[in-house]
Amino acid sequence: MIQVNGLVTHVQELPPVAADPAAGGVAAAADAGPGGEPGAGPAVGPAAESPAGRPVAVLVHGIGPDSLASWYLSLAHPLADAGFRVIMYDLRGHGRTERPPAGYRLDDLVDDLAALLERLGVDAPVHLLGNSLGGSIAFGYTARHPDRVASLVAVESAPATAQWLARVGRQLERAAQPDGDGEPPALTTRGGERGARYAAAVRRLVATTTAGRDLPASTPADPAALRAITCPVLGIFGSDSSAVDLAPALVGLLPQTELVVVPGHRHAVLVTARDQVRRQVLPWLARQLADTGQPALRG
Amino acid sequence: MPADHDTILTEISQMLRAVLPGIDPDEEITMDTSFRDDLEMESIDVISLAGRLQARYGDSVNFAQFVAGLDVDSLRALRVGELVEHIATALDSPPASVAQVAGQ
Repeated sequence: MIQVNGLVTHVQELPPVAADPAAGGVAAAADAGPGGEPGAGPAVGPAAESPAGRPVAVLVHGIGPDSLASWYLSLAHPLADAGFRVIMYDLRGHGRTERPPAGYRLDDLVDDLAALLERLGVDAPVHLLGNSLGGSIAFGYTARHPDRVASLVAVESAPATAQWLARVGRQLERAAQPDGDGEPPALTTRGGERGARYAAAVRRLVATTTAGRDLPASTPADPAALRAITCPVLGIFGSDSSAVDLAPALVGLLPQTELVVVPGHRHAVLVTARDQVRRQVLPWLARQLADTGQPALRG
Repeated sequence: MPADHDTILTEISQMLRAVLPGIDPDEEITMDTSFRDDLEMESIDVISLAGRLQARYGDSVNFAQFVAGLDVDSLRALRVGELVEHIATALDSPPASVAQVAGQ
């Protein structure tokens, strides 16, 4: 737990896995990841040996019953295995981070991310990965500091347009209802015991904080600021989610966006289609590193 | 000397009580204690515990491997005993690099 922007914040870091000297610094693409996954893609050349030279991945979760767990259990370890320093944190009001009663506008959440990176002494461009509202936070940070972001992966997310913010507000309202039939937030896949627990968690968030009011009332991202984002962007959506219809707007604002739609999955695609998301994200990040001449990933 | 299950269980119990201050001091934590059913842990609580375990036992215990293949539900369904056994097994095994040198 560390103090970030005045809040006691739960942060988890995974150090980059050191390159195996026996492999001569060239990753074997056939090496299995921790989940038994095949190598993410070809690694070209030796990875940098010093931790300071390793690429940094910052994973941002979404609003509601979500926490860093959704990233920890999906991309975190494969990214560390591939040579990234992985940084995850619980948003204010979520997981094990302090829950202040106020300050849940999107700009506040972007402030928190900026303060976290400053507190951790991260000064090289980072690779941001955001899930749902976490992606909006990532876009917001990148719009403010385009030179500090090397690439951006957005799962079920979009920049904070007025349309997207209104949608988040409706999702919070629906998720907080006992028998809500709206699309559940990140960690839920269906109703039942899990859905009931998550609905209860969102009700507590909405009842004890201004999150329910702050988020829909947030200042939408300035299109001019968004157009200043020139880093590579990967957008991943579930084909059956309600957010997928925001994909065209995302591509319209950020034409460099590569789009992947995972068939048969909904808003919780990061959790329900974990292997597919890994198979998209890891090679995409390897390509970004290769393109910029940064230290290559291990396979 | 084989890693002592009792010692590991005691240390994990202490960490659990630190992670979950709401646990009744009189409630015994045993090898059969379920994260979900007995301790009402969320996945984030299990991950917080894993962070402390990593700090305590270091790289000799590969938690990446332990959580690999686990998702939100299966993580919560774990029993304390499964964690103890994983740690004990890892502590009893020589590090890979040592094994390689020994084999040369």
